[in-house]
Amino acid sequence: MPSLRFFLGKLGRLIATIFAITSLVFIVLRVLPGDPARTIAGLDADEREVAALRAELGTDRPLGEQYLSWLSATARLDFGASFFHERPVVDLIRERIPLTLSLSVAAFAGALVLALPLGVAMAVRRWGAVDYLGMGFSHAAMALPEFWLAILLLLGFAVLLGWFPLFGAATPRHFVLPVVALALSRAAVLVRLVRSSMIEELDKEYVLAARAHGLPEPRIRYRYALRNALLPVITVGAIQFGYLLGGSIVIEQVFSLPGLGRLLLSAIYRRDFPVVQGGVIVTAVVFSGVNFIADLLYSAANPKIRMR
Amino acid sequence: MQMSAISHKGRQGALGVIVTLLLLAVPAPYRALSALGAPESAAAEASIRIGMSGNPDTLDPHRTSGTLTFFSIRGFYDTLIEPGEEGEYRPALAERWEVSDDGLIWTFELRERVRFHHGRILQAADVVATFERILDDTIASPHARELRRLKRVEALNERTVRFVLSEPYTPLLATLASGWGAILPADLVESGHRFSVEPVGTGAYVFVHWQEDSHIRMRRNPEYWRGNEVGAPEEIALRIITETTVQEQALIAGQLDIIDMVSEAMLDTLEQRSDTMVDRTLSSLVMVLAMNNHHELLQDLRVRQAIAHAVNKQQVLDVAYNGGRPVSTFLDYGDPFYADVEDPYPYDPDRARELLDESDYAGETLRMSVPQNYEPHVRAAEIYTEMLGRVGLNVELRLIEWSSWLSDVYQNSDFDLTVIGHTGKLDPDGRFAGYDTGDNYVNWHHPKAEELLEAARTEAELERRYELYAELQRIMAEEVPMVFVGTSYRHMGLRASIREFHMDPKLDTIDFYRLRKD
Repeated sequence: MPSLRFFLGKLGRLIATIFAITSLVFIVLRVLPGDPARTIAGLDADEREVAALRAELGTDRPLGEQYLSWLSATARLDFGASFFHERPVVDLIRERIPLTLSLSVAAFAGALVLALPLGVAMAVRRWGAVDYLGMGFSHAAMALPEFWLAILLLLGFAVLLGWFPLFGAATPRHFVLPVVALALSRAAVLVRLVRSSMIEELDKEYVLAARAHGLPEPRIRYRYALRNALLPVITVGAIQFGYLLGGSIVIEQVFSLPGLGRLLLSAIYRRDFPVVQGGVIVTAVVFSGVNFIADLLYSAANPKIRMR
Repeated sequence: MQMSAISHKGRQGALGVIVTLLLLAVPAPYRALSALGAPESAAAEASIRIGMSGNPDTLDPHRTSGTLTFFSIRGFYDTLIEPGEEGEYRPALAERWEVSDDGLIWTFELRERVRFHHGRILQAADVVATFERILDDTIASPHARELRRLKRVEALNERTVRFVLSEPYTPLLATLASGWGAILPADLVESGHRFSVEPVGTGAYVFVHWQEDSHIRMRRNPEYWRGNEVGAPEEIALRIITETTVQEQALIAGQLDIIDMVSEAMLDTLEQRSDTMVDRTLSSLVMVLAMNNHHELLQDLRVRQAIAHAVNKQQVLDVAYNGGRPVSTFLDYGDPFYADVEDPYPYDPDRARELLDESDYAGETLRMSVPQNYEPHVRAAEIYTEMLGRVGLNVELRLIEWSSWLSDVYQNSDFDLTVIGHTGKLDPDGRFAGYDTGDNYVNWHHPKAEELLEAARTEAELERRYELYAELQRIMAEEVPMVFVGTSYRHMGLRASIREFHMDPKLDTIDFYRLRKD
């Protein structure tokens, strides 16, 4: 297993990354044009009312002071409350995260289920019919924007065929189309990776040696080559999982799902600073956490990494 | 050999995690569902499902100016009085009212036996607490300005409440009848109840649940003071759906009963189908092409006139806003105070070119800043750019975010041209707010107009107010501080089974109380 020093080093970098991201978001939000008080007050209020709102929200204080109080609150895991409806940010995120995470995890699983066997099959019969079909799928799915694919799926399977509901999150059937939409584009990337990584392994000397020893071909392919081929998939897979978190913003919008992505999107539009900051912290933690786990896995699987 | 470089243990670990991820993923959505706890389609017959284009900012009537908030909370709350069809007011929670001769003291007599959703009976103290709350600095209500002439509110007895003003202020009635005049219970106001997430009022529907980005549910109030036992739906659900296509298809599929967005392409389809229909009402908006009157070119009346002459208003309304009625002044077409002033600067590109030639314009580029999230305004801006280009005026289109638009354009007047719609107000004084002091985003300052506004605000007699506002509108039409383009239609899609659908353009909401479904 990885050494403690390796582990702590990685963990330290993880925390530093999250700190840097959230501080950057804090500053960018306040440097960008757009005033939350004015957004709440709308067109009818005059400067006096807007000033009262600013004082109430605390956005009229000097930037440094705001930053320090935000930092100390965040360190105590106090993310504050939404500017717009006073609900604690923690509650808002807690409500949203199960949906977005399960959507992402299900889509990730779906992408793997599709990409692993297909990628292996393509590598084993290089330039065969399956390989061409698989490459065709991969090209097409990578070229299609996710939202467009999502709308096509919705029009085809929910409107024309009526197999799935158009909106909502009440039953498992509500999740089929969004998961498929997300999974297809992720699978498109993973399938190429599995294919090339598998081809690389199959060309290596140990495979030749194993064949020379007369080991059965399935055992060579799936026991030895596939396992080694999966190493790069772990790293790229973790990054792809991050894309899923981002991609779910679009998918949640199209399928009217109340997930973290839409929460963040509307918070950005209306300058709901506490919600944006809280949401970014959580997303950064999940994203970095997944990468952290992937790093550990990778080093567990490949002792050479541990030496660095 | 490379094989030996990789331990078996490690590889099995990696595979194990992937398998675990796969296993976790399958039941995960199910767990998410139980967390959402939103039973749908239950008792669909007894309920009405309304598609709404976005989230309300909050459900607190005093702390926002968001139109979706006032749409959402209409069923929860009542106001002292309600707007009538002709600019008059009807009794609601107040049975009757009177005003002293000097216009300073307004006395309201409350209805008996009105119950709040949490069981208490409405009393004068609730009205006092409500208006004190709007004026409370820590509430920071964007509507506090409308009550600035209010010296105090006092309860004379349990059912009589008195508003004492510092100077006569006729628009007070409009404030009391607006969505933000919603009466809250005094005990919950005192305890700091979060009306933003759990509204409690006297309305025809009782709040059940709000899941942001998903839905708001409400159930019939069996003790409503107006009585609504005959045929009223047991439940109304507002479903938050941002995609127009999804709303339209859900209406056709019968998954929604009412939708608040209909694209131009679907108007005919929904009208022609036997199971759907379209409700078309004139909105209370005035669409404008606003100009910065401090800009060195735009402060020249001839340039503003040229811009007005260059715009084909009907065409803009038809192409960008799904149709509407052109106007030539700052009130919407349906407003009782609207003065049908003949357009002093009708569409006339040749005249526009002449006026530009007479002016100091020498080919400078004007920036047109447009809020990018409002597609109709963006479309309109593209048409304006084209129309102005044809008379020789160079315009550069800049799309900006709504929050930036509010702070840069609206608050700091950092713009040349912009495109926006001004929402209607129950009293014209609300529409002209800021035009009485020169403190408005287009930087228009006109002493005569300011006098008229002041006079109309203190004038109690309706006929005289009509005259004052008519004169003001004529001045604005001639001065063109902005090009007043027109009032657009508002389209709502309905299932054919919907009855008693009443859209109130000024409050920008449905009358939930009367709504029925076969």
